[in-house]
Amino acid sequence: MTSLTLKRLSLFALPLAAVAGLNSAAQAQEWTPSSSIEFVAPANPGGGWDTLVRTMSRVIQQEGLADESFAAINVPGGGGAVAWAQVARDEGNPHKLFATSPPMILVPLAGASRYDHTDFTPVARINTDYSIILVAADSDYQDLDDLLTALKEDPSLSVGGGSAPGSMDHIAIAGLASAAGIEASAVNYIPFSGGGDAMTNLMGGHIEAVVGGAGEAVGQLGEGSQLRALGVSSEERLGGGLSEVPTYQEQGFDYTFDIWRGVMGAPNMPEEAVAYYEDLFAEMLETDAWREASDQLGWIDAYQNSEEFGAFLDQQQDQFSDVLNELGLLRQ
Amino acid sequence: MTRLNTNQWLALVLALLAVAYLGMAWQIPTFPLPRPVDSDLFPKVLGFSLLILSVFLFFEKPTPIAGADEIDEEAQNGPLLLTPWARVIVTSLAIAAYAFLLVPLGFVLASTLLCVGLTAYYGYRRHGVNLATSLGVVLALYLVMTRVMDVYLPTGVLPF
Amino acid sequence: MDAFNNLMYGFGIALEPINIAYVFGGVFAGTIIGMLPGLGPISALALMIPITFAMEPSSGLILMAGVYYGAIFGGSTSSILLNAPGVAGTVATSFDGYPMAKKGLAGKALAIAAYSSFVGGTVSVIFLMLIAPLLSKVAVSFGPSEYFALMVLGLTAVVSLSDKSLVKGLIAAVVGVIISIVGIDMQTGTERFTFDSVQLLDGIDFLVVALGIFALAEVFYMLLRGGGGKEAPRNAIGSLKLTRSEVKEIAGPVGRSSVLGFFTGVLPGAGATIGSFLGYSMEKRIAKDGDTFGQGNIKGVAAPEAANNAACTGSFVPLLTLGVPGSGTTAVLLGALLVMGVNPGPMMLEQRPDVFWGVVASMYIGNIFLLVLNLPLIPLIAKILDLPRPLLLSLILIFCMIGVYGMSFSIFDLLLLLGFGLVGLGMRLFGFPAAPLILALILGNIMEESLRRALQISGGDWMTFIDKPISLGLLVIALLSLTLPLFKKRLKKKVAPDVAN
Repeated sequence: MTSLTLKRLSLFALPLAAVAGLNSAAQAQEWTPSSSIEFVAPANPGGGWDTLVRTMSRVIQQEGLADESFAAINVPGGGGAVAWAQVARDEGNPHKLFATSPPMILVPLAGASRYDHTDFTPVARINTDYSIILVAADSDYQDLDDLLTALKEDPSLSVGGGSAPGSMDHIAIAGLASAAGIEASAVNYIPFSGGGDAMTNLMGGHIEAVVGGAGEAVGQLGEGSQLRALGVSSEERLGGGLSEVPTYQEQGFDYTFDIWRGVMGAPNMPEEAVAYYEDLFAEMLETDAWREASDQLGWIDAYQNSEEFGAFLDQQQDQFSDVLNELGLLRQ
Repeated sequence: MTRLNTNQWLALVLALLAVAYLGMAWQIPTFPLPRPVDSDLFPKVLGFSLLILSVFLFFEKPTPIAGADEIDEEAQNGPLLLTPWARVIVTSLAIAAYAFLLVPLGFVLASTLLCVGLTAYYGYRRHGVNLATSLGVVLALYLVMTRVMDVYLPTGVLPF
Repeated sequence: MDAFNNLMYGFGIALEPINIAYVFGGVFAGTIIGMLPGLGPISALALMIPITFAMEPSSGLILMAGVYYGAIFGGSTSSILLNAPGVAGTVATSFDGYPMAKKGLAGKALAIAAYSSFVGGTVSVIFLMLIAPLLSKVAVSFGPSEYFALMVLGLTAVVSLSDKSLVKGLIAAVVGVIISIVGIDMQTGTERFTFDSVQLLDGIDFLVVALGIFALAEVFYMLLRGGGGKEAPRNAIGSLKLTRSEVKEIAGPVGRSSVLGFFTGVLPGAGATIGSFLGYSMEKRIAKDGDTFGQGNIKGVAAPEAANNAACTGSFVPLLTLGVPGSGTTAVLLGALLVMGVNPGPMMLEQRPDVFWGVVASMYIGNIFLLVLNLPLIPLIAKILDLPRPLLLSLILIFCMIGVYGMSFSIFDLLLLLGFGLVGLGMRLFGFPAAPLILALILGNIMEESLRRALQISGGDWMTFIDKPISLGLLVIALLSLTLPLFKKRLKKKVAPDVAN
């Protein structure tokens, strides 16, 4: 019942908070928040960003890691663009954070957001998920090579994913195809309204394969299931229910793909505040409550501090723009 | 044939809208990857359907407008601000004002003001009952949403 | 007797005192959430995840399922009394429920809604219990081609929903599809008709349109007709009792709609809203007095209410047997189950029978609770209609605003709501029916998406819709349902002059 007692943040207090934050930043090395932190999930309740925001807020609260509470706020719209536009106006506010993941790079590259990752302050990367390729249990494709060879011969074979062309799932399969020597734009990628929708269509035999998030797929694998995994995009094999799924690299395709999740803050957030959050999140990752929650959600910790995360984001942008360029979908 | 009937007016307006819509449909960019049916096909079909339907509407005999005879005759001749159409216009303006004042004033204050104000404007004279009911309903909704359901609503100038 | 034993096992779990408390708490909270605008079951469930985190998985799901079907159950109240649907699944209920309330039959309408919901809920739990594992095959057999055909079939209802002028009905439907495709096109990521506004990228929310065109337009319309409180006080509630002939009259629609609703719910992506519309339009076509649908026909309340509750239960089939969510709401439930350490899917029946059978059994109890809870409340809730007219009108306005703002937290949506209210008023004044617009709005973009998805898979071959037996069958039914009434009419017309002569 902890979340019920969360003190809700007053919008009226925001300007005050910003001033207070700047003052304390100027005065002291040790910055601590002076009001509750607005933690934005740029989507509706229930999605990946929302789960990250709520889980982090809950663990921090439960373990008493911060003096002020993290208030989860949903700002849905435009695949994140609405929330980004809102945060971008809050320059220098040390009490405003938001959850982020590859769409932070992809949506701006597709020309659907005025702001990109360089407009915000990277705070920390938290964890990661990987991309996975699934086929029906009775499919003829026994390994990744079978599927990719078939794709090469017959580009009309349909590969479903849970998001629009040019977004995560499409990039994941297009990059893999490219690494296998297939023209990325030749892959017949079918966008569904979500990973679950794509998997149902795979079970029904309406499409040949599905590319999706490993965490989402793990429940579908194992004994008696109707689906089979051909490979994951991680560097090393994953644990748990996915320990028997070989990586792409193991099968001779030099390609990895991270579905990372992290936290960013308002533009030009004071360094002291960034340092405070870096430490806070690093500490949070060590708690049992976090361990338990992320095991259940299939998350793999992949912490990076602000600087590493910033560099990582730049490198992701390069990688994604190459793939998008190859697909002809680059708009910037 | 000099005067157009209601349906013919409506048909002309709809036809204009359909043409404008079609104009926009033609500006939808082609997707770089080949698609059997691209983003523009549906809008184009819809625009043409609307155009054709408005032609049909033009030649349809108008039925008497539902409810036109029910417009409050008595108020029609009353003070300008209380004529039926004035009521609709004032209400619309109040809603628009509410939308813009919701965040600065806060949910409780803005909603209570709107509710009390419109109720009084519609002619309810027991202001005490009005205020009590409006405030009661708004506060109850506010508390359920924020305290029980944990949904954030703007607090505005009030401290909670 | 296997199902019986399993069910007894399930009741063993569901009847534990703590679980009874959870069922009760769940359906009670759900009823209130359903009545309140702005907080659909999706957000309510997402916000509850932290509460259920520490619970036993079966208790957690019992609680959350209770909230879900409770919300669909309770949502009919505001549809009937205020013409302001609290949740999307009860929009169709307002078509006849609100006219009934206006005639002074609010009590009866609410009672019919409660009974039909109860039957719909219970019938579908029986189905869920007996044939859930088999149904998972039905759920996956629907691919893009089949969905396209289903949407076409659904859209043929536009004809029967446009009462006076077919042309105006069709125009309303075209406008509905036009609204539904605003935003980012899922198939290509292209923006369409967003006017460069970030707010429109995700399209226009269904409830914004529904609340605007029904509730707000109704307020405007009442203002035009003199909302000054001069109208004689209405005998608002009326009797709750149904006569024997009324029970007989709705028995058929409730039964049919329960079955139809359940199967609609089983299909991923369809769900309660589509189920209720299909139920409503099916009954309108079948009924001898189909013309009076929309003017307060009791069958028009019974059918969508039975269907939406049945669809709600049906949507647990893909969730529990396949582990894939068929709707936004069940996606949140799936997330909650994962957090609690349960992997729904084909193996769940063997691995966690307590969760599956516990929830199934709890649904019987929950439906009884809902009925017992709601019936005595009806006279109380319906008192809202006794409020002075001016106060009632402003409260409906506030209701709509909270409904929209609490859903999207967007000022822009409030202005959209106002816009649709004015559009709705115009439609009423000029005799354009609202139901076809709403129907087309729900089905339009699913139809477009599945059409394009199907063609993308088939490489542009349109035969894909005819080659697949299910899709062919649905298309044939759609064609028949369009042409048969025309023949009937022609026959009638031929006969009528003869009689006159």
